[in-house]
Amino acid sequence: MDVTRAPSDAEVVARVLSGDGEAFALVVRRYEAGLLRFAARMLGGRDAAADAVAESFVRAYRHLASCRDPARLRTWLYRIVANRCKSHLARRPIADVSLDEAPPVADPSDTAASLERAEQLALVRRALVRLSPEKREAFLLKHVEGLSYEEMAAVTGERIPTLKMRVHRAREALLQVLEEHE
Amino acid sequence: MNAIDPRIHQALDGELAPATLSGELRQAVERLVTAAALLATPIPAASLESRVMVLIRRPAPSRARRLLGWFVAPHAVTFRVRPVWSLAFAAVVALLTLFPMRHEGPDIGEHEGIAQFVGRFPGAQSVHAVGSFNDWRPGSIALEDVDQDGVWRATVVLPAGAYEYMFVVDGERWVPDRLAERLVADEFGRENSIVIVRPARR
Repeated sequence: MDVTRAPSDAEVVARVLSGDGEAFALVVRRYEAGLLRFAARMLGGRDAAADAVAESFVRAYRHLASCRDPARLRTWLYRIVANRCKSHLARRPIADVSLDEAPPVADPSDTAASLERAEQLALVRRALVRLSPEKREAFLLKHVEGLSYEEMAAVTGERIPTLKMRVHRAREALLQVLEEHE
Repeated sequence: MNAIDPRIHQALDGELAPATLSGELRQAVERLVTAAALLATPIPAASLESRVMVLIRRPAPSRARRLLGWFVAPHAVTFRVRPVWSLAFAAVVALLTLFPMRHEGPDIGEHEGIAQFVGRFPGAQSVHAVGSFNDWRPGSIALEDVDQDGVWRATVVLPAGAYEYMFVVDGERWVPDRLAERLVADEFGRENSIVIVRPARR
């Protein structure tokens, strides 16, 4: 075995299931950035996203044996986080979602370009939060997390034509908002 | 929301090269690609590794504890209804309240019960039940042979209690009910049937 090679997801899952619980830290390190970004864009806030992702990791650890295809661990984790986010949004009205938990603060060292980028990001986030959770989820999985429609179907449990329609509608809504603010 | 040119979707789905699009369409594609790139910016946050590993090192809560937790935790219940169905439901409730459905059959009071009289009298023209419940007057409780099979039936509501009775066949022949719960001799040397009517509502 090549000891310098990073273990595959399937290998890590096998280690955890055989009793090496500490190996799960590899899973956290490998996927936390993407899952945190996805949850933050879904929920509109960093703190809520961190809670959702941490709870999802714990849930994933406790139910790891039910992951039918460890090679597709990433998709399985996105599914858990997506469900967590949608449960969170169902409890918490969208109007309560804070987009400004970490507002861009002007700093003398900021360049005009970085401030413009921050403004653009705020605009996109505002446009994104106006989408329904299902359309937001579809757009993020497709264009931000780079999942294929097949992977998106595994994450959401929806049919591919439904997901394509959601992505199309999300693009249309976002483009409309972006063009209004040109 | 306006539908956008399908070629924008094709370009974003990798089915069409953006370079082949006109300037306006290419600009729309670039706007969406830029938006996605902005959203893909990593979220600056402390690593979750230590937090997660502390949690998973703790023993998992027992099923009973999780169940208890579920009961004490607040849960949001969301109903998604179409107004048309809500209005229809409200209308049905209002109608049922204003015009309660009347059940078929006799109304039964608190101290009343149902008595059923059944006798086999082939060829009879009429059968009546007479007894202490109607002061032995023929005519008030007429049995019917609906199927023309010689079996005569009547169902009536009577005050709860025990009654003596007989059948009067064709207005002149008095016969006891052999299916009765009990038979009792009367002062005329005949056998009267006994029916016990129990209150329908307890």
